[in-house]
Amino acid sequence: MKKILVCLKQVPHKDARLDVRSDGSWIQDDNIKFEINDYDTYALEEALRLKDQGEAEVVVATVGPERAAQALRTALGMGADRAIHIWDDALAETDGLGIAKALAAAAKDENFDIVFTGLMSDDANCAVTGPMLAELLGIPHITAVVKTEFKNGDVEVERELEGGALEVASLPQPCLLAVQTGINEVRYASLKGIMQAKKKPLDKKDLGELGLDAAAVAPKLTVEKIFVPPKGAGAEIIEGPADEVASKLVGKIKELGLF
Amino acid sequence: MSKTLIVGEIQQGVLREATLELVAAARELGGDVVSLLIGNGIGELGEELAKKGGGKVLVADNPGFESYTADAHAQAMRKAVEAESPDLILISNTPNGWDVAPKVAAALDAGIVTDVFKIEQDGDEPVFTRRLFNGKFNGRFRISGTPRIATVQPGARAPYEGSDAGSVEALDVTAASRTKVVGVKTAEAGGHDLTKAEIIVSGGRGLAKPENFKEVLQPLVEALGAQMGASRPVVDAGWLPHNYQVGSSGQIVQPKLYIAVGISGAIQHLVGMKNSNYIIAINKDPDAPIFEVADLGVVGDLFEVIPALAKAVNEAKGN
Repeated sequence: MKKILVCLKQVPHKDARLDVRSDGSWIQDDNIKFEINDYDTYALEEALRLKDQGEAEVVVATVGPERAAQALRTALGMGADRAIHIWDDALAETDGLGIAKALAAAAKDENFDIVFTGLMSDDANCAVTGPMLAELLGIPHITAVVKTEFKNGDVEVERELEGGALEVASLPQPCLLAVQTGINEVRYASLKGIMQAKKKPLDKKDLGELGLDAAAVAPKLTVEKIFVPPKGAGAEIIEGPADEVASKLVGKIKELGLF
Repeated sequence: MSKTLIVGEIQQGVLREATLELVAAARELGGDVVSLLIGNGIGELGEELAKKGGGKVLVADNPGFESYTADAHAQAMRKAVEAESPDLILISNTPNGWDVAPKVAAALDAGIVTDVFKIEQDGDEPVFTRRLFNGKFNGRFRISGTPRIATVQPGARAPYEGSDAGSVEALDVTAASRTKVVGVKTAEAGGHDLTKAEIIVSGGRGLAKPENFKEVLQPLVEALGAQMGASRPVVDAGWLPHNYQVGSSGQIVQPKLYIAVGISGAIQHLVGMKNSNYIIAINKDPDAPIFEVADLGVVGDLFEVIPALAKAVNEAKGN
């Protein structure tokens, strides 16, 4: 039976209103909705499709505070078999490398055949955790995957390049695939799935249980402050009733000589 | 004295302009500049980089580097780091760069910051600025310990245009890879070519559902005699086919007029349309990054503005 790991992150909901904290350290995230990172839902779907095709166990793992358990429950509701929730106060300020170390510690004795991650997260947009995890596990990886085909011990993938070009590459298993959005159509959790998820195992692990300590995950990358980008010379902004806006736009389009 | 290692990139047999942008960034920071170039039969390109400001260029030339693989390139980069002990490593944030850079960072247990568009020197420490939350915010970052690794957004600054004596040195390295490259498929031609369109009206997630492309956007497209484009989330959701996608992984366009409707402006979209002659953006969020590249912005409800605009265009044309 194949063992598949899907790493996911809980991030602010796409439609959440985001504001910077007054000290600029990060966004205000006390009272906003969260969801599974978009890229990671595609990673999970790719794993669940392998499970649908035959014998496979799909394990989901996340590094995140208490609230992140909800993301794991959702993943279990979609069809994952069990979940690993890694958290420790010492992880609150860590960086991608610290997260990769925690995930690697949780994964190393499991001998997964395939590890799926999203290409990046929609919050920090770093795109580092997947390749780092692969390096720490000693397995090959490939990023921006838009197609997978599993054959014998290998997996053939298409990797997105620039301008619509695709690279076709073959990796031996075990390997890590960091998937791009749009690779598949992501399923929803069914009501039955959500009911079943409540009985599925969700293991909590802190750093000690993973054989790590705070020093091992101390961040090397630190954020000094975040801020709304300064508006450049940028756009002349118009507001007002739709009719007025439309006639101003028509004036501009005429000026450009386009009709 | 600090030392910066530039990892150059070759694309279809030529040095990428992004590499010369790294040269400019490294020279601005001061200190020593050394470069690494990885490929097969690339002696002349190594000399070219040396003459274009790359300083001492280490050339990792091996048939195993014919196609990019993370495994092989990481070996060359680690060997160069061993030889040069750089304080800072700059890599372009391209599909190859973002694939290999985190792997090298993990192998070296080094801090990494990705997709930066500005590097400033604060005393002897670099400070990196990059986008977060798909362009909604910027962040300033620092890295503790060396080497520091940064991937740099292509096109974020002008390339270095000076010339220099430089020098070239062979870097002896193996190029083993577990991953094998089978081939490259180029973009499908035809179908829906946006690169020659005079006017493009593109829709994003703000259109809310697929029917609205036909019901709300199409009348404006027809009134203007334009072509329809789309942002990535729209294509990912299967609302429109991939050949409608404008952006770094879709089509790079430069029409006389680009109208972005309900598109927030993630960097990968901006890369594909920011060189349009004139950009109008319509979005309900006044902080949407699309307004940074727009010439004219409308903060408002597209479901009111677009039908009104289609009607006004038709009236102006006497249709």
